[in-house]
Amino acid sequence: MSGSMIFVSDLRQPARLLAALALLCLLAGCGARQVVVEGDFPKPLMSPLPLNMGIWYDEEFANHEFFDEAKGRTESTWIVKTGSAQMQMWDIVLGGVFKNLEQMKNAPGSGEMNQVVDAVLVPKIEELQYAIPAHTNVKVYEIWMRYRFDMVTTAGEQIASWTMTSYGKTPTAFLQSDEAAVNLAAVVALRDAGANFATNFTRIPAVREWLEQRQSRIARSKAAATPAAASTDSLPEQDVETEPAPQEAL
Amino acid sequence: MKRLASRALLALAGSFILSGCVTSTVDEMVYNEPTEGIGDATVVILGRRHASDYETEPDFIQCVGKHISSRDRAIDVLGELEFINALYPWFEPRTAPLRPEDIDKLMAQPPVAAKMAELKTEYMIWIDGSTVETNSAGSMTCGIGPGGAGCFGFGTWGNESNYEATIWDFTDRAEVGRVNTSTSGQSYMPAVVVPIPIIAPVQGTACDGIGDQLLEFLSGDY
Repeated sequence: MSGSMIFVSDLRQPARLLAALALLCLLAGCGARQVVVEGDFPKPLMSPLPLNMGIWYDEEFANHEFFDEAKGRTESTWIVKTGSAQMQMWDIVLGGVFKNLEQMKNAPGSGEMNQVVDAVLVPKIEELQYAIPAHTNVKVYEIWMRYRFDMVTTAGEQIASWTMTSYGKTPTAFLQSDEAAVNLAAVVALRDAGANFATNFTRIPAVREWLEQRQSRIARSKAAATPAAASTDSLPEQDVETEPAPQEAL
Repeated sequence: MKRLASRALLALAGSFILSGCVTSTVDEMVYNEPTEGIGDATVVILGRRHASDYETEPDFIQCVGKHISSRDRAIDVLGELEFINALYPWFEPRTAPLRPEDIDKLMAQPPVAAKMAELKTEYMIWIDGSTVETNSAGSMTCGIGPGGAGCFGFGTWGNESNYEATIWDFTDRAEVGRVNTSTSGQSYMPAVVVPIPIIAPVQGTACDGIGDQLLEFLSGDY
């Protein structure tokens, strides 16, 4: 079905002309379309890993926004601000994945005064793409993100570095604006990022290796502290921090 | 009294005229149906959201849940979002179990097992499908001026719904039934000054069809 609108009015008077221009502007959706992503994120339901993990959001991550300039007269310029929602989501998710989560005061580095933690996670958004029905002719709004996670010591030495993708989509809905739909797709993508991290963190080879080394180091130091126990062949592994990673169950 | 009856007849005729025609087919295949209903246990209805080109609409899931709980108040249907949030991240599109056997892996996690026990979920119903617009034709012109506004023209479009509900018995970790519904209908919108929408309730009919079959499975009274 096609529709068109015909305006039949006297536009000689400036007030009417202004009003008509304002209406046209409104209908054409002129100016950039801005979405500040907002949503609620649940805490993960899992046994937390026995780690005291630090988190450092750099300025680029904390104020992350995606800008896409209109390529034609029929398209709109989009600004999608995700920084605040990113920090909110990762604080909740990482707070459930690890036994303790510390917000670092400074970026991890050798000369920095920081809290004592087992490791520090530094998330970065390498890429964000979006699609709305006007781009694809498919009646879904989509957001795709690629993250890079660096896990470092408090001195800034790298332990592991990996990339992770997330995807969110939402169908077109009656009386739902493009902005609301993009926000919803972004919230779904953020939830997906949290789910991806929570279920796959211990499967990352470098992380797994670091966890194993850490466990054996803790076991050795405990054994050294209690020489009587060290003399026995069966080291009580359940006494040390060898709780199976919740992700490994799946 | 006569006037009241004629008004009721007029309203009935009006509602019949203003809703388009819908054709619906429901197929059902169930086994291990509970003979006395589900008792104290709860049921959760979830939408599948794995496909890239469509998504099972959350409002359709809500509609089926409401259909069941409004007809048998003894059946406690958990809200989809409430359930997914309570068990985050295990029922996200990326992590949701695809087969009943996957439930065992999920229940190996103590916090998940404890939450499921707390929610008393006996049946999990997965609904996969969507409603799409199949065709559209016609044109309509609307005008506005100092003397007033109005539209003239005619538009028509078709909708088609295809949904499949898969019932999982959470205790036995087994699939115990499938219900499939296909619904199609044509909507019309003639306009002579005022547009008059004659909408075919395609998704609503699909919701009622699938809801009735699920009710037969879950309820002891049906």
